[in-house]
Amino acid sequence: FSILALGGLYSCKEEFLDVDPQGKPEESEFFVNQEQAVMGVNSIYAQLRAWPVAAFAHLALTTIASDDAEKGSTPGDASFMNDFDNFTFTSTQFTLNDYWSGQYAGINLSNQVLTRVPAITMDESLKARLLAEAKFLRAYYYFNLVRAFGGVPLVTKIPETPEELNPARATAEEVYALIISDLTDASSVLPVSYDAANVGRATKGAALGMLAKVKMYQKAWPEVLSLTEQVMALPYSLTPDYYQIFRFAGENNAESIFEVQAEVIPGNCDASNSQWAEVQGARPQFGWGFSIPTTDLDNAFEAGDVRKDATILYRGEVTPEGDKISETADNPRYNQKAYVPGSVAKECGYAKGQNIRIMRLTEVLLMHAEAANELGQTDKALSSLNRVRERAKLDPITITDQAQLRNIIWHERRVEMALENGDRFFDLVRQGRAAEVFQALGKNFTPGKNEVYAIPQNQIELSGGTLTQNPGY
Amino acid sequence: QDAVPITGRVTDAKTGEALIAVSVLIKGTTNGAQTDVEGNFTVNAPANATLVFSYIGYQSQEVPVNNRTSINVQLATDATQLNEVVVVGYGTQQKRDVTGSITSVKGDELVKQSSQNPVSSIQGRVAGVQITNTGTPGASPQVRIRGVGSAQGGVEPLYVVDGTFVPDLSFLNPADIESMEVLKDASSASIYGVRAANGVVLVTTRKGKAGAPRINYNGFAGIQKVTNRLEMANAQEYATLVNEKFEAIEEPRRLPLNSPSTDWYDQVLRTAQIHNHQLSMSGGTERITYNFSGSYLNQQGIVKKNDFERITARLQTDFKVTNNIKVGYNAIFSNIKTDTIPSGVLYQSYVAPSILPVREANGRYGDPANINLGNFSNPKASLDWFNQVNRSQRLTGNVFGELTFLKDFTFRTSLGINYLVSDYRNYRSRDSLTSIQFAERSLLTKGNYKGNSWLWENTLTYNKEIGANRFTVLLGISSQRDRWEEIIGTINDVPNNSEASYYFGLGDQETARIQNNGDLYTFASYFGRINYAFKDKYLVTTSLRYDGSSKFPSDNRFDIFPSIGLGWMVTEEPFMKNQTAINNLKVRASWGKLGNSNIPSNVFNQTANLAPGYIAFFGGIPYTGGNFDQAVPPTLLWEVVKETDLGFEMVTLNNRLTIEADWYDKRTEDAIFRVPFLSSSGLGGSINGNFASFKNTGVEFAANWNTEATSNFRYNVGFNVAYNRNEVTNIDTFIPQYGGSGGVAGNLTTISRLGDPIGSFYGFVVDGVYQTEQEVTGSAQPAAKPGDFRYRDLNNDNVIDNRDRTIIGNPNPRFIYGINSGFNFYNFDLQLDIQGVAGVEIYNANKGNRFGNENYTKDFFDNRWHGAGTSNSYPSADLSGINLDPNSWYIENGDYIRIRNLQVGYTLPTTLTGKWKIQSIRFYANAQNPVTLFKYNGFTPEVGGPPTNAGIDLNVYPLSATYNFGVNVNF
Repeated sequence: FSILALGGLYSCKEEFLDVDPQGKPEESEFFVNQEQAVMGVNSIYAQLRAWPVAAFAHLALTTIASDDAEKGSTPGDASFMNDFDNFTFTSTQFTLNDYWSGQYAGINLSNQVLTRVPAITMDESLKARLLAEAKFLRAYYYFNLVRAFGGVPLVTKIPETPEELNPARATAEEVYALIISDLTDASSVLPVSYDAANVGRATKGAALGMLAKVKMYQKAWPEVLSLTEQVMALPYSLTPDYYQIFRFAGENNAESIFEVQAEVIPGNCDASNSQWAEVQGARPQFGWGFSIPTTDLDNAFEAGDVRKDATILYRGEVTPEGDKISETADNPRYNQKAYVPGSVAKECGYAKGQNIRIMRLTEVLLMHAEAANELGQTDKALSSLNRVRERAKLDPITITDQAQLRNIIWHERRVEMALENGDRFFDLVRQGRAAEVFQALGKNFTPGKNEVYAIPQNQIELSGGTLTQNPGY
Repeated sequence: QDAVPITGRVTDAKTGEALIAVSVLIKGTTNGAQTDVEGNFTVNAPANATLVFSYIGYQSQEVPVNNRTSINVQLATDATQLNEVVVVGYGTQQKRDVTGSITSVKGDELVKQSSQNPVSSIQGRVAGVQITNTGTPGASPQVRIRGVGSAQGGVEPLYVVDGTFVPDLSFLNPADIESMEVLKDASSASIYGVRAANGVVLVTTRKGKAGAPRINYNGFAGIQKVTNRLEMANAQEYATLVNEKFEAIEEPRRLPLNSPSTDWYDQVLRTAQIHNHQLSMSGGTERITYNFSGSYLNQQGIVKKNDFERITARLQTDFKVTNNIKVGYNAIFSNIKTDTIPSGVLYQSYVAPSILPVREANGRYGDPANINLGNFSNPKASLDWFNQVNRSQRLTGNVFGELTFLKDFTFRTSLGINYLVSDYRNYRSRDSLTSIQFAERSLLTKGNYKGNSWLWENTLTYNKEIGANRFTVLLGISSQRDRWEEIIGTINDVPNNSEASYYFGLGDQETARIQNNGDLYTFASYFGRINYAFKDKYLVTTSLRYDGSSKFPSDNRFDIFPSIGLGWMVTEEPFMKNQTAINNLKVRASWGKLGNSNIPSNVFNQTANLAPGYIAFFGGIPYTGGNFDQAVPPTLLWEVVKETDLGFEMVTLNNRLTIEADWYDKRTEDAIFRVPFLSSSGLGGSINGNFASFKNTGVEFAANWNTEATSNFRYNVGFNVAYNRNEVTNIDTFIPQYGGSGGVAGNLTTISRLGDPIGSFYGFVVDGVYQTEQEVTGSAQPAAKPGDFRYRDLNNDNVIDNRDRTIIGNPNPRFIYGINSGFNFYNFDLQLDIQGVAGVEIYNANKGNRFGNENYTKDFFDNRWHGAGTSNSYPSADLSGINLDPNSWYIENGDYIRIRNLQVGYTLPTTLTGKWKIQSIRFYANAQNPVTLFKYNGFTPEVGGPPTNAGIDLNVYPLSATYNFGVNVNF
């Protein structure tokens, strides 16, 4: 029996059954040191490049839905994107779910950091900065959600209980309150700039600028004015050549306030994963050709505006870099801000290294102009507005009528930021003229309904009805 | 009368092989003899005596001498099968003593199938075992014993080869198998405790027998052809359809109708070759027996470039060291080389427009960019470009020692190992084939995998017969450790000179990248079993297993798995003694509990994800990112199966008809279920845990008819059928239960909900097609266009939305059946096997997998709506939007009936082969799957898939018919 007994002893040993997860840090092993705190924050930035946050869903909800762009590409290819151009989508349209899930994935990554990093023993000033970065990014994701859906479930910690796992919708005001609190906290901690090896992290200017934008959506004009002036006081400056802003050389330039950082790592295509430019590149030479400029946008530029040619890439055009867009390209126009020259390697696909410009100094200037005009401070408004126009090689505006000036600033905002980071749809809603503008273009926009998107139907079903649908869907 | 010497030879009536140690008795005396290793005997008997030939497992025969001095006898196997020995877990039992539901398939029957995977060979032969084949050479079929027993992780049965646990049988040559036993009910399987929830398949390989060496060669060669080819729309039909679609979406463009047509399946599929050779030698002395075999299989895939090559070698030796010590080993080595195909090529062939030429006039590949219809790959270019080789070597074996002591005790220790190394090499050259199939830099990928598991088991058996009581007691302990690790490297810019240049050192070192994964898990188990028989009439089997696994949290790690089985041999009762109508009748009942440990590791462990996608860039520099992004359950319990089985076995009509029937109720509790999860958590959208319970209930029936074994015309016919119903009996309420894929646009195609089968298809009911704008106006679908589906408004609110979805199909077959028959006429033999599935649906997701201007099937062209009154069942060519939502149009009948196997053989007369000193030569012609009848619009109705996502066809590998010619020689 000795062998039997020996075998018994061997398998009896409790440690025989204690096996650690292989090759994966356990919960107790991650977020325990400074390096991991940094890694955690890195992941939140990386999520900004993810497909639903940067590509199809993002473009559908923010840009194709607007008057700036239409679906593009070949007829029949991804025809579901037309659901957004025409406002014929229903709550089961999966793109809505993609957008929703993509933002919440970023929110979870932020919540993990905000929950776990405070307990790490590490450099306290770095810790404070990392937490501020996480708050900035969480606010950014929530801002995307609240603009698109109105009030959404407010998840601010790692959910544990069934109730926390299945939260009801908060009001839009509650969501805005969190965004404002996060951005306020972030702006008080984040540095004005970083060393060369950290360029691209959220700065004080980014937090203040984003806060100004959020306040603008709430029409809190005095605060918008004050916040934009705080940003304008920071060492940002307009670069001379509008076209060059959107080339690789223009990434993180002097007027850049926040950009989604993307690069191609040769041999690591999983990390080289931003498809923002790829899906918009001129089809078939440079990408998939989605989200193409409308005739309406083409016509929106004033004569002599240098931004028109920098924004719209025409069929048959020869670019300054020497690429000729095919005469037989599928579409008449493409988004030139997503253009990456053909000489750039395509090992991981098209244009994966193109940064996405989230906020530039001109947007802050135009917010400043808008707020000043609303507050009757016309001089300030004209001064900021004309700084933007001057760079675009346009004559200064001198009109002082508040209503007229408002429209001019709105128009300036459209052409300055066209096809850049998808503010147009939300701007039109914010400005209260979405129905007017869209219906004039023959879109199927229903006032009282299409100002916000449908809550994804499968999320409502997954919640067992805890989530409620927006009116009209 | 004086006794005279009589000589003769005893052979197996079926195989013609010599039978060794057959008892030859002179009737009415105790005098007699035994046959030697060549089956020969000599006995002294009077000329008017009668000889009685008896041999275990064979029908006894009485032969009058009638003044002859030479008597040759053929013995037939015992049709009653009651004396048949069946392998059970950790031992063997006579079939008559078995109280559970075990089906045994002998190796001789497997060989008659010419299948390459032993599991395929039992398709249609075992009631209640559903086998779903895949056409991919070398791939293992999917096996479901008595329905779906688990939802998540491994749903396949446990495979035990000579006591060693293995993940599948693809490494095994079917000709090496002595028998396969399928343990279907809980009482027979529960000795395997936590591993047995999905049933157990025991494989016993052939062992040498004492006697002269036996040398056998078996070889066949043949071809494989696609039998049910899917016809796609040709160029003209495709252009017609796309033009109709363009018209519908108000696109001015029109395609010309006269483009040359490409049949992409012609480009991708082929008639494939197969050949197989096997040589075996066995024999031994009283002390040492051996069996050696080697085999070579070369099988081409139906898809071009897909090749599979398998070499197996096996050596088995048993040593009887002393009269009470036995040691032995069994080692199976296999070497497999596969040339694989690009994973998407079948999808690409389905969707590539037929107006796209294979090559342009300038010799370049036909480029989808030239036809401006979408991002299609040229399937031929994909196939030509793909350059990958997979290799694997596996050693499976065990070493044992057995000690018999105190007469009734046997101690056995056994160490099993399963060692697998495999690697693959993929090279994508720097090429520009089409506008979307290009690489600016070459890429070399190499993967290395090593799996290493051992299993140490110690058992003590006590065998005793006291008066009318027979019992066997088994005690055992077992420990197991499984580990695997994989390393995958990639690098750019390795030159494309030859295989010899495919090394990382020749690439751009800056681009070198490495991935590394692995797993490790352990088990510890204690078990015992008592078999008891009283007067051979009342039978009891009871077992208990105590299992622990590292896959569970330490506080829930161990569980107990008991079972009991009862049997009553009715025909042993005195009141049955005087009847002859029923030769044997056994009634049995069993209950047992099983577990499923075949779940992913770390289900309950939160682990950080350091994926490359989490790399962040600052100042152009990449920085590693990592975070927690998955939801894990707070704890994990054992998933258990509790199964009740009632059955009977009956032999009647003069031992000719055997009937076996079972009823079972199999309940899976605390099933580990991955359920979709609210996205607002940001935690991956799904979670694993003990979230469901479900049950399978069913009946199985099998009948076998055998004729007299001695006549020149013999035949046997078997029929089996099983009915199974799956039902979800509990699902956690706040966690919902949708699943499935295959709907375009991320639509969920299945639902697992209370009271319905797991993974039921879920969607809209199509009530027709809108014919005119007028029909749309005022309907429940105001956004619809003529040619769109009209969905049934199930809740009558005049709005079509998700509340109008319902269950529209069931991927779990209700009936599976098989008919197996064999005929022998003089030297000819014929084997005919038929098999089928009924009462099952398939979700034909191919039809709805439309993102742009994919090709359509010919069936779609013929039946589509293209103007009022043209169709009320098929939609228009503008198949988009809500028409792609899961609906009943995508559900198709998956029933089929198939000639599984048809084999005709001819054995040369022994008078001829005897001259050549050859025991037997048999030639045969074999057709596998020559005819499959089904209505489904696809290559094959055999569509597998995980339980909550099964039966969804997304371009499965085509099944083929195989036609072989072979020869079997016994030296």
